[in-house]
Amino acid sequence: MSKNRELLSKIGLRLDGRRADELRRIRCKLGVFTEPDGSAYLEQGLTKILAAVYGPHQVRGNRSKAQHDAAVVNCQFSMAVFSTGERKRRPRGDRKSTEISIHLRQALTAAIKTELYPWSQIDVYVEVLHADGGIYPACVNAATLALIDAGIPLKEYVCACTASLANNDVPMLDISHQEEIIGGPTLTVAALPMSGKIVLMEMSQRFHVDHLQKVLEKALQGCRDIKHILDEAVKSHIQDVGSSTGWANTT
Amino acid sequence: MALCEAEKTFVLHGVEENFRIDGREREDYRPMELETNIVSHAFGSARLRLANTDVLVAVKIEVDVPYPERPREGKLEFFVDCSANATPDFEGRGGEDLAVEISNSLAGAYRSPEVFDLTKLCILKGRKCWKIFVDILLLECGGNLYDAVSIAVKAALWDTRIPLVKSVTVDGNNIDMEVSEELHDCQKLDVTGAPIMVTVCKIGEQCIVDPSAAEELCSVGALVISVSRNKFSTILQTGSGSLHPQTLLECLQTGHKVAQRLHDALIETLVDIKPSENSVGFLR
Amino acid sequence: MPIDHKRINGPEITIPYQLFDKLNTKSGKSQFKDFVKSNGVRIDGRSANDHRKIFLKTGVVSQAKGSAYIELDKTKVIVSVFNPREIPNKSEYSSKGEIYCEFKYAPFSCHKRRLHQQDPEELQYSAIMKQALESAVSRHEFPNFQVDIYALVLHNDGAALSAAITVAGVALAHAGIPMYDLITSVTLAVQGEFVLVDPNLEEERLCQVPLFKDEQNTNHGIVVLSMLATHEQVSQFYQTGNLAMDNLTSAIETLTNAAKDIVVLVKKCLVRHVIKSARNVED
Repeated sequence: MSKNRELLSKIGLRLDGRRADELRRIRCKLGVFTEPDGSAYLEQGLTKILAAVYGPHQVRGNRSKAQHDAAVVNCQFSMAVFSTGERKRRPRGDRKSTEISIHLRQALTAAIKTELYPWSQIDVYVEVLHADGGIYPACVNAATLALIDAGIPLKEYVCACTASLANNDVPMLDISHQEEIIGGPTLTVAALPMSGKIVLMEMSQRFHVDHLQKVLEKALQGCRDIKHILDEAVKSHIQDVGSSTGWANTT
Repeated sequence: MALCEAEKTFVLHGVEENFRIDGREREDYRPMELETNIVSHAFGSARLRLANTDVLVAVKIEVDVPYPERPREGKLEFFVDCSANATPDFEGRGGEDLAVEISNSLAGAYRSPEVFDLTKLCILKGRKCWKIFVDILLLECGGNLYDAVSIAVKAALWDTRIPLVKSVTVDGNNIDMEVSEELHDCQKLDVTGAPIMVTVCKIGEQCIVDPSAAEELCSVGALVISVSRNKFSTILQTGSGSLHPQTLLECLQTGHKVAQRLHDALIETLVDIKPSENSVGFLR
Repeated sequence: MPIDHKRINGPEITIPYQLFDKLNTKSGKSQFKDFVKSNGVRIDGRSANDHRKIFLKTGVVSQAKGSAYIELDKTKVIVSVFNPREIPNKSEYSSKGEIYCEFKYAPFSCHKRRLHQQDPEELQYSAIMKQALESAVSRHEFPNFQVDIYALVLHNDGAALSAAITVAGVALAHAGIPMYDLITSVTLAVQGEFVLVDPNLEEERLCQVPLFKDEQNTNHGIVVLSMLATHEQVSQFYQTGNLAMDNLTSAIETLTNAAKDIVVLVKKCLVRHVIKSARNVED
């Protein structure tokens, strides 16, 4: 309990100097690689994620996985061995990576218009280059950008954000790794911001149910803000690409 | 990728005329981009982009106990991870064969003490030494992986800063190490001997260097030649063909010549790299 | 290192007693001088260019389609080749057959006990074996099939890899797998100005580090070459260590000559096998 007080100082500043409802700086780039159909690079604070999308293409491997009315979304989450402070032994295949892959698939399947590609498969591969808290939300955001770069029709942007509770009553946004370690509950929410639908909600630790509403509200607000940032990035990328091929200013 | 016979013939004719499909000569490399110091958690890192091939290398250091039969030497371990970003075939454990091949050839290339002196990593004979983990992440495969990996590893080792050990006190079985906290108080590694690998492919009657993915498919035999300080540190024959001993010698000579040029160019570039506050990484 | 759960393992951290042996404190250079005198004569009386005596026998494993056994003085390797079978885990048709090679040191074959699973060195040697044998076998004769080749080193006294490749060629011929040519393989060890054909285990070990640094000669290394003699094709080439260009050139020449010399023995062994099976058919 006393640890919570360190998360938010008396003048309302957090450990890294942010205010309670400030997001970390997000920088992103679409179209980083040429080989995948879509790729994106996203930095949220110090967390760095690379996402690549292949597809839609024929179902690889097990043909029985194919569905007659929708595309199969296949996700793989992998962390580079050097991404954490202490060197990881294996990049993927452990329980945590498999769990995050499943959550990623859940979030993305809700947004992709899978009914347009029956008998097909869409692969989404996410690689964490530097882990500093908020890995899952950053992966979801990067994957959304990669899907847009690949030209796969989406119902909406999928944005994710973490939120926590400091001092037992002040909701905080976008938790970094240090704040995660110190303690305190973490609520991860992945949502379709404009329609306000939640596609994934996950929580660690605990806090009283009375606070749930405001922490959830904070997280959804964070998702909306992230959506604006990602939208800006997508628009400027399309402008770059378009102007180089001459269709930005059509008369 | 699959090429039909007509495409293969086209590539072959180009190589014979010393004008390859992308306009290069037989001994030309594709343009490369190198950036060091990208991964902040690591003690040294480098990213190399060779046309479509993208390799990210990070070096991490730990204190370890030396092998009992080699008490004065530190340890150097390579780990290669083929990311699924490169191709869906690398999903799960699909890229493991390639990863094992590359890490084995790197281990073989760095084995000789002439190439990399492990005695510099010793802290206390027989009790403590530095263990260097070189972690290689293959992000995109556009042909010529061995070259890209060896250059990136050399650059990352160049960039590596090993903290200086100020004092070591031994008290029975307890060993206390005091490591300098200063950022600039560090030891750099001597990488002038670190090997550069050159892939030489034989297409038709000629040898080419730095094959693209399409050219790799047309070759009848390939050699990966690792050169360190003008000497060969490892040679592997890859690809599924055989070579006449005379051709083998020609390939070795070509590879040797090219590796020297590449080494000189790389050292020149590394010396010129100035540390900048804003590392660009993937954002450019 | 992976733990073997099927067997009762000894303590995890063990140190071989040889390290405490007082006799083991000689410098590398004097150890090498014990094994190779300055006139190039080695401890077993061979000259620098002499290969060890080879013993080859076919038909040693009854369950395998083809098998062979080789003895290079103390180095013993046994190889079995199995019938072509469908390539596992593959759904697309391939117009060429595949070879699957597995190279393994038996746990008791080396000074230090080996694990039952393949370690990175054995995986690399398996890949090298595959590289060597791929050019020798007529892969288009068995499309979409895979031939399994298993090599087990019973005693490692140097040059185990080249022994394995040579005897694998014999086993493939014994199995009746269509081949373009007979394959033979030789190892060469270089230390300073000494160039030793077919090194034994100690010579191989001593060539891993440069021992003649004070004489300005830091050449050292191991070179393995496999050749298809009649076609004059090098199907596999592997080198480690630190060698200059001219050393390598002369090494390649020495190796190609040595490889051609061994072909005679391989032919003799296979002819003996054919005569024996012809006699069996007659009876």
